[in-house]
Amino acid sequence: MNPSINIENLSIGHNNVSLISNINISSSSNKLIAVIGRNGKGKSTLLKTISGLLPPIQGNINFNLKNINKIQDKERAQLLSIVLSSNHSMGNITVNDFVAYGRYPYTNWFNIHNEEDDTIIKNALQLCQLEELSERYYHELSDGEKQKVSIARVLAQNTPLIVLDEPTAHLDLINKVEILKLLKELASNHNKMIIISTHQIELALQLCNEIWVLANDEIKIRTPEELLEKDELNTLFGNENIVFNSTKKSFEVK
Amino acid sequence: MKFVTINLSPVKYYEITFSGLNLKNYFYQSIMKDFFSHKIIYIIVLLLIGIILFFGLDLLLGSVHIPFKEVIAILQGKSAEKESWEIIILKSRLPKAIAALLCGAALSVSGLQMQTLFRNPLAGPYILGISSGAGLGVALFIMGISAFGLSLSTFHIIGSYGLIVFSIVGSVGVLLILLAIINRLKDVMTVLILGIMIGSVITAIIGILQYFSGNEQLKSFIVWSMGDLSSVTLSQSFILLFVVGIGLLMAFIISKKLNAYLLGEDYAKSLGVNIKSTRLIIVLTTAILAGSVTAFCGPIGFIGIIVPHMARMLSRSSDHRILTILSILIGVNIMLLADVIAQLPGSEQSLPINSITSLIGIPFIIWIIMKNKSIKNLN
Repeated sequence: MNPSINIENLSIGHNNVSLISNINISSSSNKLIAVIGRNGKGKSTLLKTISGLLPPIQGNINFNLKNINKIQDKERAQLLSIVLSSNHSMGNITVNDFVAYGRYPYTNWFNIHNEEDDTIIKNALQLCQLEELSERYYHELSDGEKQKVSIARVLAQNTPLIVLDEPTAHLDLINKVEILKLLKELASNHNKMIIISTHQIELALQLCNEIWVLANDEIKIRTPEELLEKDELNTLFGNENIVFNSTKKSFEVK
Repeated sequence: MKFVTINLSPVKYYEITFSGLNLKNYFYQSIMKDFFSHKIIYIIVLLLIGIILFFGLDLLLGSVHIPFKEVIAILQGKSAEKESWEIIILKSRLPKAIAALLCGAALSVSGLQMQTLFRNPLAGPYILGISSGAGLGVALFIMGISAFGLSLSTFHIIGSYGLIVFSIVGSVGVLLILLAIINRLKDVMTVLILGIMIGSVITAIIGILQYFSGNEQLKSFIVWSMGDLSSVTLSQSFILLFVVGIGLLMAFIISKKLNAYLLGEDYAKSLGVNIKSTRLIIVLTTAILAGSVTAFCGPIGFIGIIVPHMARMLSRSSDHRILTILSILIGVNIMLLADVIAQLPGSEQSLPINSITSLIGIPFIIWIIMKNKSIKNLN
């Protein structure tokens, strides 16, 4: 079954104050989706609401035909997994044990791993090229390595939907590209829908299949090609200081 | 960048239920893999030897000299050379040693749970006012029963259970207040300071209660508040064993949930943990452990903070299945050692146990803060 998300009449926000209302999105098949928008426009709020961490003010979110706010925590944990933008401050845990957290929704009360769990953890480490780091302690790693470990953890959770809030923040350009390419490859080759929020619009145009643009209190669903064709990014993000050049696919300072 | 294509198709999911626990699987997958590779078995064996040693020393030392052979004989149920020796061992030293053992285990595990629940390395039952909450529960209980013309000594067993229940309720109250605060303020230091303030407020309330209470009630409460390990009777120590046993069992059962809590509540939820019910179970377990011990032994400080750190340093693990076991064993060792030290002057009276635990605990806390440069780096 191809992953599918169906958002109906959704209002999001904190403490009943609506930030964006009347969101309707329908999207399916394995793809990497980037949510872009200025600071404070509701990217994190949208992702937290989609992942069931924040209750919606109104409306429904269905993933694979299941309303994510009406199912048990354990069932949701096998449907979608998340990586938030804040880093963990955990000591005394090895990379392997951290990735093993992904198996949490599948293990018994005492968290005993069976052979399948061990294989999946090993595969997740391998996919993110972390085998050599597996016995290192998490807090000793660099930011880029930590981000890869987080991705390996959600891979081990083995859910059809993965949500990542700014996975490329705090990373240098090389790490940014590496992480986005890894996510793209996971989406297309492992039948997953991956939704990320990012400020890397130029990279998102090159690497993502779909872009959700948050602007003027609404969400527009576009493919990168559509955004470039209609020169929409310039109207949405351009101002007196910056202009988007659709032929060069990049922002230029005026 | 090279990609390895590996099949990550959804796996068959099967659960080993509590009743049908596959022991062989359990042994090889968990004990062998987690414990041996971390040399934790050796640590556990050493700690067990320590417990036997200190427990023996605790029975042997005291104001009256009783030969080793006689102590063994008394414990085996044989009659000793002097009858008074039997009374000293069975009515005084044995219940005191059992109380020390239970205090060490309960306070340490309670501290471990609080540090994870509040995500605060300096949390513990004493410093966050849980012990004060227990004290308020006890004060209300003593004032309450004397309103019916009763006192603690007139109905011993019921009184003991009443003490425990009120003490646990008092602890739960403080924990719930702290949880309400921590939901608004996430800062480590703020919560510590507020915990200390809550403790002071409760002490003030107890003071006011005392002011309005009669002589008899006041005497009962003051006797309780001066209480230490030696005030625990043998029958009380069995009640304590029962309640602490339940608390430790609960702690062990929720160790998987505590592990998820380490990632923070959002991640725990995303891993399928029901936050509301889990929070409540952790609070209840913590309160049962800290409250029951405080009911009989009075407030004992700093064990709850330092022991979980020792467990983490020894195991280099953050797995609560391991940390709970190690905290129990280390806590028992330290409480028995503290009680042995309290006997050392060899005089008629022993030193107050709370002074010993403070003298061991505070330098250790200062040392780990210095070592980590800042409280925020502790974990």
